[in-house]
Amino acid sequence: MAMATLKHRDKTYEVEPGTTLERALRELGIIPETVLPVRDGKIIPPTHRLEEGEEIELVDVISGG
Amino acid sequence: MKCTICKKPAVIKLRHANLKLCPEHLVARVEKVVAETIKKFRMFTPEERVLVAVSGGKDSLALWGILNKLGYRADGVYLDLGIAGYSGRSREFSEGFAAAHGLKLLVVRVEEELGAGIDGLVKVARGKACSLCGTVKRYLLNRVAYEGGYDVLLTGHNLDDEAATLLGNTLCWEEGYLARQHPVLPGEGKLVRRAKPLVFLSEREVAAYCVISGIAYIYEECPHAAGARSITLKRVLNELEDRYPGTKLGFLRGFLKVRERFTPPEPVELRDCPSCGMPTASEGLCRFCRLKERITRHALRVTEDHGAPA
Repeated sequence: MAMATLKHRDKTYEVEPGTTLERALRELGIIPETVLPVRDGKIIPPTHRLEEGEEIELVDVISGG
Repeated sequence: MKCTICKKPAVIKLRHANLKLCPEHLVARVEKVVAETIKKFRMFTPEERVLVAVSGGKDSLALWGILNKLGYRADGVYLDLGIAGYSGRSREFSEGFAAAHGLKLLVVRVEEELGAGIDGLVKVARGKACSLCGTVKRYLLNRVAYEGGYDVLLTGHNLDDEAATLLGNTLCWEEGYLARQHPVLPGEGKLVRRAKPLVFLSEREVAAYCVISGIAYIYEECPHAAGARSITLKRVLNELEDRYPGTKLGFLRGFLKVRERFTPPEPVELRDCPSCGMPTASEGLCRFCRLKERITRHALRVTEDHGAPA
C-alpha cells in the first residue's frame, strides 16, 4: 500500500492512508494553526482522509523577523 | 466539514471565531474584517492617498489586493533590501502582483540609499540584523511616503505579529512601547500616519486568503530572521492558541481596551536631521544617516587598506 506524503519545509513525512489530516498533523507534533495544507493550489480541510500516494504540502504560515 | 454560513464543503476551521468556512466565505470574511478595521480605527478614507509597504510576502500582497478590491487608491512601495537569495525573489513576487493587477509599485534599492544592502550593513554595524533592518525600513518607507505626498503608510502586520510584539513588550514591561502599540499611529510633520488593517486576522487566515485568491507570494523566510525572538514568541502563542482558541485575539483586544493605562514616554522634540532633513530625536544625524556614515567610513578604510582602485 502506497503511503500518503506530507511535505513540510525540507522534511517529508510518510503517513498511513485513511488517517485524517488533522490527526496526522497531531501525531507529527505539528500544530494545525501553524500550517496550511495545500494540494494543487487548493486548501485541504483538516477532516480530509489521506489517500494512497497522495502528496500534500504543509505551507508554513509563521513569518517573522 | 460544512461551511457554517452556506453549508457547502468547508476548507478551513477557524477555532478562534468558531467558524468553518468554504473558500468563498473565507475570502468574504477576510475582506469584511479589513473593511471594518479601517473604519473602526478611522485609518484612512477613500479620498486619501494610500501607500502599502509591499514585501512580496502573503500579508502585504493580500492587503494591497483587498484595498484595491474595496475601492481605495493604494500604490505600493517595495524596498529591495539587498539580501542575497531573498530580495531578488521577493521583488519578483511584488512586481508580478503589481503587473497582474495594474497597480503602481515604487521600487527603492536600499544599497543606493544607504551605500550597502542589509547583508553589507550587518557586517559593519553593531546590533541585530532585524533591528538594523527595521531602522532602515521605517526610515525609507516614511521618507518615500512623505516625499510622495501620501496620507497614510500601511503595513501588513497581522494578529500573530501584533500579539507577538505585545507579548514581547509585556514580558519586559516596556511601558513606552506598550503605550504606543496601536493599529494606527498618527502622523506629525514629516512623519506620515501609519496603519495596520490586518491586525485582527491571523496569519493562517491571510495565507488561506492568498491561496484561494491565487496570490503568489514568497514562502521562504528572510535568512536573517532565523532564530529571531519574534518567531519564538509566535510559536509560544500558537501553542497557547491550540489549547485555548481565541488567546491571541483576546490578548490583543483586551490590551487595546486597557492600553491608555500605560504612560507614553515624555514627548521629545523632533529636529530635522542636518544631512537628510527627516525628523529625528537625536541632536545630530538621524539613525539612518549615522548608519550611512558608518558604511561610508568602512568602505573608505577598505579602500585605504587595499589601495585605491587604479
